[in-house]
Amino acid sequence: MEEKTYACFLGCVIPNRYPGIELSTVKMLRELGVESVDMPGAGCCPAPGVFGSFDLKTWLALAARNICIAEELGCDIMTMCNGCYGSLQEADHLLKGDPLLKDKVNEILAPEMEYKGTINVKHQVEIFTDDIGIERIKEAITMPLDGLRVGVHYGCHFLKPSAVRGHGKAERPGMVDALVEVTGAKSVEYKDKMMCCGFGGGVRTRDIEVALDITKEKITNMLDAGVDCTVNPCASCHLQFDRGQVEIEHIFGDRFNLPVLYYSQLLGLAMGHDPRELGMHKQNIPTDPVLDKVEGLK
Amino acid sequence: MNIGVYVCHCGTNIAGVIDVEKVTEYATTLDGVVVARNYKYMCSDPGKDLIRSDIKENNLDRVVVAACSPTMHEKTYRDVMEEMGGNPFLFEMANIREQDSWVHTDKDMATEKAYDLVRMAVAKVRRNEPLERIEIPVTQRALIIGGGVAGMEASLDLAEQGYEVIMVEKEQSIGGHMSQLTKTFPTLDCPMCILAPKMALHEHKNITIYSFSEIEEVSGYVGNFEVSIRKKAKSVIEDLCNGCGLCQEKCPTKVLSVYDGKLGTRKAIYTLFPQAVPRIPVLDRENCLMFTKGTCGVCKKVCPTDAIDYDQQDEIITEKVGAIIVATGYAEYDPTPIEEYGYGRYKNVLTGLQFERLTNASGPTLGVLKRPSDGATPKRFAFIQCVGSRDVNTQEYCSKVCCMYTVKNARLLRDEHPESEVYIFYTDVRSAGKGYEEFYKISQEKGVKFIRGRVSEVVGLPDDNLLLRTEDTLTGDVYEVEVDMAILACALLPAEGSDKLRDILKISEGTDGFFMEAHPKLRPVDTLTDGIYLAGCAQGPRDIADTVVHAKGAASGASVLISHTKMSLDPISAYSDESVCRGCGECKLVCQFGAIEIEPLNGRLIAKVNEVLCKGCGACVGACCNGAMSIRHFKDEQINSMIEAAMEVA
Amino acid sequence: MEPKIVAFCCKWCSSAGADLAGTSRMKYPPNIRIIRVMCSGRIEPSYILHALELGADGVIITGCHLGDCHYIAGNEQAKKRVEMTTELLETMGIDPRRLRLEWISASEGARFASVMTDFVEEIKELGHSPLGGVS
Repeated sequence: MEEKTYACFLGCVIPNRYPGIELSTVKMLRELGVESVDMPGAGCCPAPGVFGSFDLKTWLALAARNICIAEELGCDIMTMCNGCYGSLQEADHLLKGDPLLKDKVNEILAPEMEYKGTINVKHQVEIFTDDIGIERIKEAITMPLDGLRVGVHYGCHFLKPSAVRGHGKAERPGMVDALVEVTGAKSVEYKDKMMCCGFGGGVRTRDIEVALDITKEKITNMLDAGVDCTVNPCASCHLQFDRGQVEIEHIFGDRFNLPVLYYSQLLGLAMGHDPRELGMHKQNIPTDPVLDKVEGLK
Repeated sequence: MNIGVYVCHCGTNIAGVIDVEKVTEYATTLDGVVVARNYKYMCSDPGKDLIRSDIKENNLDRVVVAACSPTMHEKTYRDVMEEMGGNPFLFEMANIREQDSWVHTDKDMATEKAYDLVRMAVAKVRRNEPLERIEIPVTQRALIIGGGVAGMEASLDLAEQGYEVIMVEKEQSIGGHMSQLTKTFPTLDCPMCILAPKMALHEHKNITIYSFSEIEEVSGYVGNFEVSIRKKAKSVIEDLCNGCGLCQEKCPTKVLSVYDGKLGTRKAIYTLFPQAVPRIPVLDRENCLMFTKGTCGVCKKVCPTDAIDYDQQDEIITEKVGAIIVATGYAEYDPTPIEEYGYGRYKNVLTGLQFERLTNASGPTLGVLKRPSDGATPKRFAFIQCVGSRDVNTQEYCSKVCCMYTVKNARLLRDEHPESEVYIFYTDVRSAGKGYEEFYKISQEKGVKFIRGRVSEVVGLPDDNLLLRTEDTLTGDVYEVEVDMAILACALLPAEGSDKLRDILKISEGTDGFFMEAHPKLRPVDTLTDGIYLAGCAQGPRDIADTVVHAKGAASGASVLISHTKMSLDPISAYSDESVCRGCGECKLVCQFGAIEIEPLNGRLIAKVNEVLCKGCGACVGACCNGAMSIRHFKDEQINSMIEAAMEVA
Repeated sequence: MEPKIVAFCCKWCSSAGADLAGTSRMKYPPNIRIIRVMCSGRIEPSYILHALELGADGVIITGCHLGDCHYIAGNEQAKKRVEMTTELLETMGIDPRRLRLEWISASEGARFASVMTDFVEEIKELGHSPLGGVS
């Protein structure tokens, strides 16, 4: 594999709420031969549902500004949140396809910056799947998670709109399931697997009860299928499932205690890392049941 | 060279804007013009008489009429030329009505434009050459590709008119999709019962059927096609087989039956269905133990007429025909890619054709309604419409038959199982057709629930029931419905192998993949390749009634052609100058009609145009790098003379 | 002096479209001289150059819409050849806007009139061809 360095785009949720996502992702990628560098001055992606819905040009300009920072670094961007990925990838797609739009955005960015369209925006899942590859990950597994039943949650913005994202159809994807199963864990089928976590589209911001009701239904469906934990590739979904369970208890009085793992945390365990090295102790819902389930993890 | 120019007033249509006197006067100054006149209506008999008498009196050999569009009256004046012993191609029209007096208001400028148009027409006619129409013989036989209801109807019509018909069917029996259906709308006839009399066509003295056969190659042209047919090995000697069926009965190998939508099995030696025509079974070599394991031979042992031949080879047959009718039908869309409906994942999600087989008295369950997953009797049914139709992600067109066949199936369910709950999730109900709307209304009265909305998702439940998520766009409600079975009204696609056949026949297909008619309204059974016609779903989705109409149209088109022993063709065709041509083949590359062949001549290669196949578009002329290719009536010097005349330098 | 424009129209679509503009009594400037050919695919670059050489201020080629060609794909040939000729004109120092290719169907009489009006206006803005009266 060709050695590659990515510009690591953190967004807002990861540095403020879930540092373990950055920690585990950067660490696992490095062990698998992929480097990442910080993006000095990077801002909010900005959130597609909130900014993009109000003013497309402002949203594009702010996203383009982030892309410019990576262009300066000469690196493709790595995102760890479907929202950040959605914003930056879609903005990049729109600007690459429309010279007029590009001119308008560059007018706003001038004179300090200029969007050129020289780099690509990648999701962490793409880097694990395409750059590193399942085979190479398989070789790095030292602590197979045999017997662990996982409810995989993809999140919406990673796959949709499918014509822009280019990962094929969004109804029955397999990328994250394959990444989960290479660790030895089993990706369990459950009802409404492709449903939203509840966070997206500004729902969490506007009406948290509705958002949490969706989250609750998803968690119930996963538990009905007998999962030990849920695994996601998105900081926002991660927040919704983890913090959301505390909020669900406050509002609805249900306590689920379903452990929530970000994908690189799951992979980290399988590659023999201590949960603390993966930032798993910084979360709201204890991840101990996962550790109990797999012999040798504790 | 004696040219006559005639300027038409067209009442005031032309003369109201253009100064026809001045134009006539101007025309006399042009090189070669011996007489110029104007008249109120040139296309009237007195108008034509002016030309007639001038041809006689002034020995005119070329004529220009400045009047309306050539689309209107070119033929009128060409006929005058011909009738007077002249050549119809030594004639030109200047369009000073549609392209001048009707679109301009400034009289001086319109008159000036008319000068130019007349000058251009005179320049062209000066360089025109007399051309003779091409006469070719016609073989008075027809080939029908496809033995479904369209092919049968067309064959019978032609055979009854006394023409010999060759029918080629790729399956082992004729009958097509219609033979698979349970009942047909709006009469609820049994399809096999109304089809069987037509299937008796194999006994018609003028019809030859090649079943289990495919078109290998077609050469020649309108009136004179030569067709190679691959008659695939059935491993059964047709002349010996008496269709007793003992081999099928005793064959030990069971294979999923594609004809039954893979809901049931057939044997490795089999006929498609009991009423198959011809009733000769075919041995499926991919599954037969004799071919896979080298041992068995049961069929050969039990055959009372010794008709089984394991060593039989494919046979190539050549037939000469004058016309070809393409009646290849359709294929049902495989809905697997529409992942949200779970076809292929959930056993109780079926396609429309599968449901036809499941409810057919001679189908895999002998008409007893059973769920594929557990054999239980389903009570709640959901029909999902427009699966793969009217959808920008799959096919954009409407498949036209699904509304009615779904309504038919839903009504049959309510009739035969009154306790059943039946939902139809539709986009629009398109029930245009005689008796169709009434049929739809009856199904509503019988309690079929129509819900306008696209189902967003089918969720499989642990007990193999299905949960449908949908909206009702009429009430705005979003809701879930649990059913025992879901039936997808799948789109009609072009038949398998259409692309290959298109290349063999050199006909074109539309963006939807169906074969393209010469004109959607006025030439719906013709193709752009003369002598090849379309019947039924090969041209686009249509139901049985429309298919029969279309097939009769195609048969009529073909009989117009093959009722003659010879025919004449327009002489506007390309030709290559053999002394200049280098045989590079650029012309052949752009020719869409296969009219050009690169052939050896005295040790080098040259392009040769088949004048019969050539349509006269001239694309090859523009592609020729050496100036070897030319086209009659639109030669370089003819077009250049018009350019020069337009720029007033002629 | 009024500019003069040579138009090449295919018989099946665009010339029929021109006829429809007439039948519908639509108006457009009288600067166009139509040469009717069987198909836009018949048009050779040399015709375009010949017209310009003789002083035409503009040349317009019209055919059936892509995918609708009466001869299946003749208009695609026309497209290729016009693109090539456009490049050639640039090399020769002739404003490529003097050459235009438009798809006009038999039912688009209004479009025929508006395309011709637009082209005549554009040519008027460009002024007379630098080749006017050269030969």
